[in-house]
Amino acid sequence: MMLPRRTTLLGGAALATIGVAGTARAQLTIDMTRPSFEPVPIAIVDFKGDPVGAQMAGVIRNNLQNCGLFRVIPTSAYIQKDVDATSPPRFQDWRSVGAAGLVVGQVTSVGGSIKVDFRLWDVVTSQQATGLSFTSQPSNWRRLAHIISDAIYKRVTGEEGYFDTRVAYVSETGPGNNRTKRIAVMDQDGANNRYLTDGKTIALTPRFSPTLQEIVYMAYGENNGPPRVYLQNVDSGRRELLGNFPGMSFAPRFSPDGTKVVMSIAENGRTNIYEMDVRGRQLRRLTNSPAIDTSPCFSADGSQIVFNSDRGGAQQLYVMSAGGGGERRISFGDGRYATPVWSPRGDFIAFTKIGAGGFGIGVMRSDGSGERMLASGFLVEGPTWAPNGRVLMFFRGQPSSGGRAGSASLHQIDITGRFERQVPTPTDASDPAWSPLIPQ
Amino acid sequence: MAAFDVNKALAMKIFPSRLALLIVLALPTAAAAQRGGDAVYIDDRLNQLQQSLTMMTGQIEQLQNRNAKLQQQMEKMQADYEYRIEQLEKGGAGRPGGAAPRPGAQAAAPATPSPTPPAGAANADQLYDEAVKKLQEGDYAAAERGFRTFIQRNPQNKLAGNAQYWLGETYYARRDYSNALTAFAEGYKVYKNSPKGPDNLLKLGITMSVMGRKPDACAVFARFNQDYPRATDLQKRRIDQERQKNGCG
Amino acid sequence: MSMIKALSAIAALFLIAACSNNDTQTASAATTTVTPGSVGDFRQNVGDRVFFDTDSSTVREDGRQTLNRQAEWLKKYSNYQITIEGHCDERGTREYNLALGERRANAARQYLIAQGIPATRIKTVSYGKERPDPVGSDEAAWARNRRAVTALE
Repeated sequence: MMLPRRTTLLGGAALATIGVAGTARAQLTIDMTRPSFEPVPIAIVDFKGDPVGAQMAGVIRNNLQNCGLFRVIPTSAYIQKDVDATSPPRFQDWRSVGAAGLVVGQVTSVGGSIKVDFRLWDVVTSQQATGLSFTSQPSNWRRLAHIISDAIYKRVTGEEGYFDTRVAYVSETGPGNNRTKRIAVMDQDGANNRYLTDGKTIALTPRFSPTLQEIVYMAYGENNGPPRVYLQNVDSGRRELLGNFPGMSFAPRFSPDGTKVVMSIAENGRTNIYEMDVRGRQLRRLTNSPAIDTSPCFSADGSQIVFNSDRGGAQQLYVMSAGGGGERRISFGDGRYATPVWSPRGDFIAFTKIGAGGFGIGVMRSDGSGERMLASGFLVEGPTWAPNGRVLMFFRGQPSSGGRAGSASLHQIDITGRFERQVPTPTDASDPAWSPLIPQ
Repeated sequence: MAAFDVNKALAMKIFPSRLALLIVLALPTAAAAQRGGDAVYIDDRLNQLQQSLTMMTGQIEQLQNRNAKLQQQMEKMQADYEYRIEQLEKGGAGRPGGAAPRPGAQAAAPATPSPTPPAGAANADQLYDEAVKKLQEGDYAAAERGFRTFIQRNPQNKLAGNAQYWLGETYYARRDYSNALTAFAEGYKVYKNSPKGPDNLLKLGITMSVMGRKPDACAVFARFNQDYPRATDLQKRRIDQERQKNGCG
Repeated sequence: MSMIKALSAIAALFLIAACSNNDTQTASAATTTVTPGSVGDFRQNVGDRVFFDTDSSTVREDGRQTLNRQAEWLKKYSNYQITIEGHCDERGTREYNLALGERRANAARQYLIAQGIPATRIKTVSYGKERPDPVGSDEAAWARNRRAVTALE
């Protein structure tokens, strides 16, 4: 794996011209706690150093435009065509195209590596807002663009970014009655897509380990073999059976520290939740009900587990302590609740809700209060959080017609229910799992 | 076909048992249930028990939940009564937020309570903070309740104008424009000189514009410079933008 | 032969009167040409699947008729091992449906065991909502998809 090094954190003061401080600065910041705000207009000049420089700028534009908090000003509108990466731009030119922020950068070859310098200028105050410098292998240019996007996002919103991340999902192809379902992994923006399973048997519900080096998922055995949980190394592809039990084992999830996997095991019509120690492979039962207990998920601090159960008649959400016990129901609205996912910030639990009208994606606080629905449709299912807890990804399914499977696609949406957009995938896609930030 | 089944069933019955044969002949429907013998019967009973247990589990969960909610409400009400009685006993003089509203627009920074709130105002500040927190969490309904309670209890508090403005925002965020309009209009009427006054007027106009009442929106924007000559540049720019967007003359 | 026909008619009457759920399997029988004891025989003349109500894994009365026939047939042709596949309609979440499919397969299995089929002959597997048959997004298709299918091996 590559390790981009933050060699310098350029300070702004030395280079900054004296600008109007105070109020105007608000334009390059977003107070996301406000119920309504305008997207920040931002200009991103092609980085110097072809061709990677222009491509990097393209990746950054795409990231910022897609997140909904920025309005990327089209390059055709730029007045100052040639912007030096290290000296201040002609701020007046950028003010007159309506930009609040300006991103410039340059890529230079140093031996076998590339050095990337970037700056974010606050056009309103004529000051440098942030700047970074990296040295890395040339093949890592996309990651560097994501890291820069995260730096811009953080400077403007005050929140951690989520662009330097990956998404695991289920790729779906083939006829409706015999779909091929493979595990795939891609960058958050859809680039670098690759498949981790061969599609000979159905594979479902992938989840990343906290280091991103491994995923757990469920797959059927050859010749109608029952579903089992597998642990697979993302880079080497080496996989091993994690749940070789008499019944079906499924719905695996890592604990936040990566030392445990929780999963469901179904046997004789009962489905309970178990915890497995990844290293020692010791299995421990966490729930013991005659009902279906599944879709477990750890809280961010690892102290609790939320899951869904139909022990009370219909699927509802329950929280218990991580070692089992203390189970209490938290969902009480109309309809059935499923696939609870604890926010990385710990404040919210996202879920799928099935009501009379259809499916919905919603969030509630971890005590079950403050329920809000964010998206709905014929089939929307399986929310997963971006590492900053501000954005969710889920999948949408369309009704099938004429014997053909309805399409399935990944979507992301802001936690306030705004900026929904489809995430591009090479095939139909379901069951997304958003990774933590890639370790640097 | 069905006859074959019944006949076969009779022929293959392993234990030519008791009266079952007669029952089978007399009641072909019961035959199906009886053929597997006691095992099916026990399975059925178990399933029924399981189902009623499940139903009862669900009902208990709901009752517990309702119970917990009622208890919370009671505690809140009790605290509220105690507070009111306490105020009455003080002769009604101890109304929180007794400080006079500060006239003149201040910088529209998000209002945080002053570091050392005057005695008696703690409760009000707490209420305000709680509502702001709800707002930040996106729980607009709770934020709405919070700000409304705050305004009702502390109409003279220095944060009342802010609360009125944020009350409007809780509606606006939920696209409840008519209530947002009422709240912003009320804010303009009652708390014109609050630090949030300019923002409030701006938002009043924007809400009108969203509701398709452009001439009204323009009229509101037109008042801005006259009412708030000392507004910040940012606020003035926003007004200009809005005027342009709505094609105001 | 005429006696059998007459009995058949009477029994059919009883069944129709008795079951609120229409039994789709009873009608087609005797006129087929498949080899007795073959997979085709099992599917056509016995019926390889039973259906469930929404979110339920209780074997309905019509399903019991089918499973009774399956049990008789399996006793007669004892060389077959079977796998019962549990399935669900698409109106549930993926993981829950995997568990619900397992519960349905298990309900059918228990019924067959009660009818005297040795537990060792019966395996179960759940496909949740992953293998619809038929493919469709209306009530009729969903009703056919909430099923447990007995596959011969």
